Amino acid sequence: MTKLKAAPRLDPHPTQLIDRSASIEFAFGGRPVQAFEGDTVASALYAAGVRTFSRSFKYHRPRGLLCVAGRCPNCLVNVDGVPNVRSCTEAARPGMNVTSQNAWPSLDRDILSVLDRFGPLMPVGFYYKTFHRPKLFWRLAQPIIRRVAGLGKIDVDSAHPAGYAHQNLHTDVAVVGGGATGISAALSANLGAAVTLIDDSPVLGGHLRFDTTSHSVVPSVDPSPGFEVAAELVRQVRSSAGITVLSNSVAFGLYEDNLLGVLTTDRLVKRRAGRIVMATGSIEQPLVFDGNDRPGVMLSSGAQRLVRLYGVKPGETAVVATATNEGYAAALDLHNAGVRVAALVDTRPEPAWGALPDAVRAAEIPTLVSHAVTLAEGRAEVKAAVVQKLEGGVPIGERQRLACDIICMSGNLEPADALVRQSGGLDIPKNVYAAGSVAGAGNLAQAVDQGRQAGTLAAGSSSELPLAGSSPPERAAPFLSGKKSFVCFCEDISTADIDQAIDEGFDDIQTLKRYSTVTMGPCQGKMCHAAVAAISARATGKSLSEVGSTTSRPPLQPVPMSALAGRVHLPIKRTPMDRKHIDLGAKMVDLGPWRRPFSYGSPQDESISVRERVGIIDVSTLGKLDVRGPDSPALLDKVYTHNFSGLRNGRIRYGVLCADNGTIMDDGTVTRLADDRYFITTTSGNVESIEEWFKWWMAGTDIEAYVTNVTSGFAAINVAGPKARETLSKLTDIDLSTDGFRYMRSKEGVVAGVPSVLLRIGFVGETGWEVHFPGEFGEHMWDALMDAGRDFGIAPFGLEAQRILRLEKGHIIVGQDTDIVSTPLDSDMEWVVRFEKEDFIGRGGLVAARDRGLTNKLVGFRMRDGTVPDDGDPIVDRGQPIGKVTSARLSPTIGKGFGLAWVPVELAEEGRNISIRIAGADVPATVSLTPVYDSEGKRLKE
Amino acid sequence: MAFLLTCPNCGDRSVYEFRFGGELTQRPKPDSSSNDWTSYFYDRRNAAGTQKEWWYHKFGCRKWIVAARNTITNEVSETAWPDLG
Repeated sequence: MTKLKAAPRLDPHPTQLIDRSASIEFAFGGRPVQAFEGDTVASALYAAGVRTFSRSFKYHRPRGLLCVAGRCPNCLVNVDGVPNVRSCTEAARPGMNVTSQNAWPSLDRDILSVLDRFGPLMPVGFYYKTFHRPKLFWRLAQPIIRRVAGLGKIDVDSAHPAGYAHQNLHTDVAVVGGGATGISAALSANLGAAVTLIDDSPVLGGHLRFDTTSHSVVPSVDPSPGFEVAAELVRQVRSSAGITVLSNSVAFGLYEDNLLGVLTTDRLVKRRAGRIVMATGSIEQPLVFDGNDRPGVMLSSGAQRLVRLYGVKPGETAVVATATNEGYAAALDLHNAGVRVAALVDTRPEPAWGALPDAVRAAEIPTLVSHAVTLAEGRAEVKAAVVQKLEGGVPIGERQRLACDIICMSGNLEPADALVRQSGGLDIPKNVYAAGSVAGAGNLAQAVDQGRQAGTLAAGSSSELPLAGSSPPERAAPFLSGKKSFVCFCEDISTADIDQAIDEGFDDIQTLKRYSTVTMGPCQGKMCHAAVAAISARATGKSLSEVGSTTSRPPLQPVPMSALAGRVHLPIKRTPMDRKHIDLGAKMVDLGPWRRPFSYGSPQDESISVRERVGIIDVSTLGKLDVRGPDSPALLDKVYTHNFSGLRNGRIRYGVLCADNGTIMDDGTVTRLADDRYFITTTSGNVESIEEWFKWWMAGTDIEAYVTNVTSGFAAINVAGPKARETLSKLTDIDLSTDGFRYMRSKEGVVAGVPSVLLRIGFVGETGWEVHFPGEFGEHMWDALMDAGRDFGIAPFGLEAQRILRLEKGHIIVGQDTDIVSTPLDSDMEWVVRFEKEDFIGRGGLVAARDRGLTNKLVGFRMRDGTVPDDGDPIVDRGQPIGKVTSARLSPTIGKGFGLAWVPVELAEEGRNISIRIAGADVPATVSLTPVYDSEGKRLKE
Repeated sequence: MAFLLTCPNCGDRSVYEFRFGGELTQRPKPDSSSNDWTSYFYDRRNAAGTQKEWWYHKFGCRKWIVAARNTITNEVSETAWPDLG
């Protein structure tokens, strides 16, 4: 496609950011665009003649540059697949692919702009009113509205960048705003503290860096143009070692205890500051008149930025509409840039005085006092401004038509206080200071002085009163009511819409906001809040302070979801034998934080191998707690339902931990190693919470016991099967004979040269030992056991085989077979509860549960045919669910489906028939209260 | 939620280092009535204002502390080691 032809730039000037010797090229809508290093996307596009930058949210009206400062929604584009990028702050880079959004087929011919003619279909609050009746209409309209709604499209297929890193940082003093005030504050604070200066622009200095009027604010420097003052201030910042500057960084949120959320180009910084100086400045407001959203109507500071920062001539003929002296500065800048200023239209009743108005008069710029622009003519470009005389804020009399191609508007300067107001209250939070124009400073000298004071206070340890914030001015720029007089550019809301919403009863500014969505768009009220307040005040007859303001909440600026989400961190815990499992080709599963072998091939074969020969399983994931100290027996008696003070040294007992209401929290083995020392295992995912639980019951008591989580320090392997003894004997001198090392006993000794603790337990129902040893020997122990068992046909088994094997023994898994309301009583483990103990955690709840009687019970079942239910299948009675299967598998022992299930207590009897709904069919099964395998428990004791 | 808690052991720390443990409650004596136990299990004052509550310094010293926190403003007026008498 043809290149967009760039108009020549203005003569070079020190305030300009562009480097004319470095030319770059990027694409806009497929067409090449020429730019200079230092250009933003918007400045280059504007110089190339682009006037329509986007289409509006609701009516798809053409929109052009408005603020040129990254605040308004008008210049949002898609850059390299990333939607909603502000082109006026996005640096132009060679090769970038910029496209428009919210327009089809093109920006210039957007079919949906017909919506502009169907305004009555979309009145304020239209989603509460229209498209609802008849019902069918909503069903037809909804998919269309869904597709049309929203700004920008996320390209889910595009290659995403790595994502934003999150950074947590601290600083003594944070200064928000890198203008003259903020820099002054940072310099003063840095005399006594480390300072972070946060600024949303690429270059420090705020608007002073394109100010050409003369100032004398730095004592050592003679009166000089603003941009030179700014340069001197920036130089001082750069030479201060204690000031960290974050440029291109938006402080979007102020949270409790001085936490600032800061979005940089590639990071989300959570910066905690001892003190914060808010030097966020003020925001020039648009004026409200018909057609004030036409491309070519822009803030006067926006036009000044184009001229001064980028050397771009905004137009040929301008009309400047103003409510303050700011418009006079803009008129002069435009005049000096060779733009013919057809008129400076001042809404104020009296002629302005001072240096700026004098200069305007000297330049012979026609000035109309007590006049207002009431209409911008044109469609995709401004053609003329209609000007009328004001009386009492109301336009009267003759309509004067002034041909022009840009209209610059300058409403009041509103304090940019949204960030400081995020604290919620009306008062500035403690340790936060406001300075400069956000705090009401009227000129540069005042602002710099406030900055210095605030910086000194922030650096000091004194708790002097913070500087007061400003109250909003009790005057408002005049506005005109019309269907196309836009208050809110983000959401296409006009003064007529606001008036109508107030008529409908939404006369409180908070409900007005919710109903009309004004202030809720991408600008978050920066361009509209003052006007909404003024309109509300007029409509309700209240003062501006009575109207108040909407609640300010984070984020101040739109923040990408990917920035909030941060990078993906899914840390996985691997056991000390992880590599062995990978080498063996194990299928791994993530369980809680752990990665574990699910199976090495066939879980059924692995099960048979354990039952007939010997198997080993990595059980390093078991939670392991070391409890010692003179009161550890008392502690365990308190937290467990069982008795552990009576447990003899070298013995093991199964224990259940209950919450105080009697429900099961966890289970595991408790081994007494010495009078004052226990070794406890917990289920794999629970050890952290069990450690907390033990410590909670010790907190504030005089129990002298010490709980240490040694989970990651120890590896563990369970060696189980008829040949487990022979296998292990090859690696240790410990007497492993049936009588020398009995079931539920423990011994400490050396295995394969490694100091170990051996627990003789039988989760899988076979003769077996759990060998616990220092984690660094994990692979060594694994290899040693595999070698030792080779002659006996040893095979590793995974989680699934372990589940089958334990299920054949009827051993429960907490969380799988029990849930949040299960107690040891209904889980058929009444034997672990020692009601005779005077007190233990859970006793109160269990006594109540016992007295109440059981309703349901956990029982075993066996299928009669060849079906195997799934975990979670319902138990049904005449079509109604009455219970559920918690675990079910095919038993290698009986060759049939079996498992555990919750059933009503009246069915919890040997031989009762139950029905399980499996894939829609009710399949008969039989309750069985004895384990499928070795019901007498002989194997594990052999 | 972004406030700081002063751990008596570690000093000022972000609340995200802690696990919330709920408001302080008084556990009934072992022989208390079923009603007292039920109330202890399930009833909470849920104060709108300052309450004493448990916090566990999970990503720090792994100790339980007690904080007096205003549930409306998240202002923490006091932190201390627990003392259940």
